[in-house]
Amino acid sequence: MPYWGADDAVAELRRALSNRHAQADRLRYRNVLLRVIRRMTQGVDVSGVFMEMVKASATGDIVQKKLVYLYMCTYASRQPDLALLAINTLCKDCSDPNPMVRGLALRSMCSLRMPGIQEYIQQPVLNGLRDKASYVRRVAVLGCAKMQKLQGDTEVDGVLVNELYSLLRDQDPIVVVNCLRALEEILRREGGVVINKPIAHHLLKRMSDLDQWGQSEVLAFLLRYKPRSEEELFNILSLLDGSLKSSSPSVVMAATKLFLVLAKDFPQVQTDVLVRVKGPLLAACTSESRELCFAALCHVRQILGSLPGHFSSHYKKFFCSYSEPHYIKCQKMEVLCELVNDENVQQVLEELKSYCTDVSAELAQGAIFAIGSIARTYTEQCVGILTALLGLKQEHITSAVVQAFRDLVWLCPQCTEAVCQALPSCEEAMQDSEGKQALIWLLGVHGERVPNAPYVLEDFVEHVRSETFPAVKMELLTALVRLFMFRPAECQDILGRLLYYCIEEETDMVVRDRGLFYYRLLQAGVEEAKRVLCSPKSDPSLGLLEDQAERPVNKWASEFNTLVPVYGKACWAVVTANWAMEPRCGGFPCAAPMTAGTGSPTFS
Amino acid sequence: MAILFSRIKLLHYRVLLGRQSVSSTWTPLGSTMIHSLFLINSSGDIFLEKHWKSVVSRSVCDYFFEAQERATEAENVPPVIPTPHHYLLNVYRHKIFFVAVIQTEVPPLFVIEFLHRVVDTFQDYFGVCSEVVIKDNVVVVYEVLEEMLDNGFPLATESNILKELIKPPTILRTVVNTITGSTNVGDQLPTGQLSVVPWRRTGVKYTNNEAYFDVIEEIDAIIDKSGSTITAEIQGVIDACVKLTGMPDLTLSFMNPRLLDDVSFHPCVRFKRWESERILSFIPPDGNFRLLSYHVSAQNLVAIPVYVKHNISFRDSSSLGRFEITVGPKQTMGKTVEGVMVTSQMPKGVLNMSLTPSQGMHTFDPVTKLLSWDVGKINPQKLPSLKGTMSLQAGTSKPDENPTINLQFKIQQLAISGLKVNRLDMYGEKYKPFKGIKYMTKAGKFQVRT
Repeated sequence: MPYWGADDAVAELRRALSNRHAQADRLRYRNVLLRVIRRMTQGVDVSGVFMEMVKASATGDIVQKKLVYLYMCTYASRQPDLALLAINTLCKDCSDPNPMVRGLALRSMCSLRMPGIQEYIQQPVLNGLRDKASYVRRVAVLGCAKMQKLQGDTEVDGVLVNELYSLLRDQDPIVVVNCLRALEEILRREGGVVINKPIAHHLLKRMSDLDQWGQSEVLAFLLRYKPRSEEELFNILSLLDGSLKSSSPSVVMAATKLFLVLAKDFPQVQTDVLVRVKGPLLAACTSESRELCFAALCHVRQILGSLPGHFSSHYKKFFCSYSEPHYIKCQKMEVLCELVNDENVQQVLEELKSYCTDVSAELAQGAIFAIGSIARTYTEQCVGILTALLGLKQEHITSAVVQAFRDLVWLCPQCTEAVCQALPSCEEAMQDSEGKQALIWLLGVHGERVPNAPYVLEDFVEHVRSETFPAVKMELLTALVRLFMFRPAECQDILGRLLYYCIEEETDMVVRDRGLFYYRLLQAGVEEAKRVLCSPKSDPSLGLLEDQAERPVNKWASEFNTLVPVYGKACWAVVTANWAMEPRCGGFPCAAPMTAGTGSPTFS
Repeated sequence: MAILFSRIKLLHYRVLLGRQSVSSTWTPLGSTMIHSLFLINSSGDIFLEKHWKSVVSRSVCDYFFEAQERATEAENVPPVIPTPHHYLLNVYRHKIFFVAVIQTEVPPLFVIEFLHRVVDTFQDYFGVCSEVVIKDNVVVVYEVLEEMLDNGFPLATESNILKELIKPPTILRTVVNTITGSTNVGDQLPTGQLSVVPWRRTGVKYTNNEAYFDVIEEIDAIIDKSGSTITAEIQGVIDACVKLTGMPDLTLSFMNPRLLDDVSFHPCVRFKRWESERILSFIPPDGNFRLLSYHVSAQNLVAIPVYVKHNISFRDSSSLGRFEITVGPKQTMGKTVEGVMVTSQMPKGVLNMSLTPSQGMHTFDPVTKLLSWDVGKINPQKLPSLKGTMSLQAGTSKPDENPTINLQFKIQQLAISGLKVNRLDMYGEKYKPFKGIKYMTKAGKFQVRT
């Protein structure tokens, strides 16, 4: 974005704005204003013409007003003294006969974001709450929230809160929703808006008048209400039944979450709800909007975690289509892994197999890893497919297959034989660090079953000088020492060379230390070394498999329809951990002129 | 009653003030949905920004640019990008990224759906939604955004209500405005805001009363090598254009309503009536709207209207490959298949193709390896075909995967699911409206593997 010439531009605009002829001609004047706005949107700092813009606000022309207000909202916090001049006009507009002008002025005034403005806006906002036009009331209600934010840490105004609570009864549905939004913000410290029985039932009654946004937000607010009795609970659920079939995915999701949370003591109901939203959810998964598909797929995965068989009969919906973006394909492959069962495994594997040769290496590898994870249950078929893929001799494919093998032999020792037979000749098509590590590890641990294992490792040792990844060298050391235990005759010479290299020539300290460590271990005697290296390993059937057990719905019900399923829980925890440091950043940006952190280098 | 109501609330509120610790266990709800919006083109320029709360620095987009760089193609930029203090949700349409900056936890589908609504609105206002058009109409864009969201919350998003607040620019109006100096802004408040039916304004008047319904079905299908269907699904919508005076109450019934699998409705449709009688009963919004959308996915119900015969072979030894495809109609109920377009991404090893089509035009881009063939209409007596040879890069081995063929087509006057509207009746008004219904079938994501 070019910032050059900002000064010239401002000077030129100022000249144009103060030109008497231009001021006389409404259209010409408006065009100048347009130019100012355009500059502003380009990121040029045009706050220099603030004075002229304030003058322009005194007009009957509503478009001109809109333009000027837009400008002021952006720059008022930098020119608070000058902005005060505009407040007079704004106050006057707040009692204009045209409700649109009133609303516009009120909204702009509340968005000025400068210190000391509260005292000027308080009265207009209060008047606005009682305005006869719903348009103005909507603006005024949200204005209350903006006003509270400007005041910062001061006491919550009880009168205002009561007024807003009573406006929940307003006949205009958007005013009702705005009241909830405003109260939520004003009462944030106290835990947000309170949903008691009369309010909850009132909202339920108004549900059908609301637009989709209102509906999904009200559904989220209703999460706070705890029905008193079972009967009330089921009344609520049946009232909201239609929301599960709404045309808007966000309403469907919000309703699902509410059902799941409310029915937390009735697993039957929860399952039933998940069956009922299957249709809408699948529709969202195949929707035109890629982004919706993505978010819906993430939630499908979440549900599958609890009900593994839930989407099994619809597995074909999760087949990737050629033109889909990568992030959808990746999600779909994950879903396919999770819904595999005895009936569809053949088709799913067939499908995944065809993705393994995708043009994009990332997707191809994803597909291979997916097959690898299905292999934990359907070992034989998957190992067959993976072995066949090695025949293609493609670098990225071989690498992924070997990595999948490495992860597999640990969990399913019964496939070791098959894997070992597939390994020879893999090393030819292997360039990346991950793949090499996996291959070397496999050769080290199961080398006694691979006839040419020492010779493959020898190759690696020969080229160790040109090896760029220290991790590969470490892996090579460990593997060779292990293999030495089983096939000493073939390995002794190579191991000697490698140890010599690591200790005498290697520059990476970690590798060198590891070399020394093994050297000393071997000095302690072969029996001792064997005892250390070949001692029993952890039992694979414990940790990982336990993790795969079905998670009860209640575990994630409160996370449904949030960003947690999109990121994955662990990842989300990392993201939000940073936020905890500055929780006020989102909630109460300080009313003072912007600080460096949230400032706007945009206009620098 | 009202007084009682507010007293209870008050009481509750006070109780709550007394025990603040309880509150922290509540699910935090985002107080603001959308903090800021950035519009970014595919070359990475921010060409429009709008802030509903404090100004968020443009530098937040750097995280987006990083993600954009990492993704090889624009389509692959992930829709949700976390940053240290915000998260960015984006949708990519018309070669523009609409990036929403969010500071608190939000339901992702809500924001994504809203962003799509913004794009739809722009498209509705300007006919096309492109960077140039948005820049040209920047003021209207700002006005619209200002009305669509306040303090980060969606306000007016129904396009017929928005259009009353801010009139869309038309060539005629621009000319008239320049002469008379009048504006795009409606002088009066939309009456719909006070109507009992929130999606319809009161006092609608037309000289010609008409109601048109378009049944549009898109087939998504994956066909395997041998021509059998792997998956097939119909996504249907009924779009309506209703211009009726007053407050008409319509009912629409189908010959075969059981066909409709999972249906979702415009909020105007009375859901209870549909559940019990399978009849659509509604007071329509004024103008264009989507009445319902549905899916037909039971595989035996989905007819596949075209087939592709293909013979694509890469030989290991020679540097020439053979390529031959023929397109023909299958289950079209006697209707003509038109607007057929075949595209296929050829493997990297294909250097060039020399092909002869029996009809239509074809192009092959040796750089992107994209083959496209504009077939046009299918004449069942003389099936269109495309034959020829491919020159392959010498020395490379046979590609692992044969190319996938994507197909586009249109069939007028046919809803491939067999859905038929039985009748449309109007109550509540006296005049006789003109009624019309049209059917159309299109290819959605229709691909044939070879």
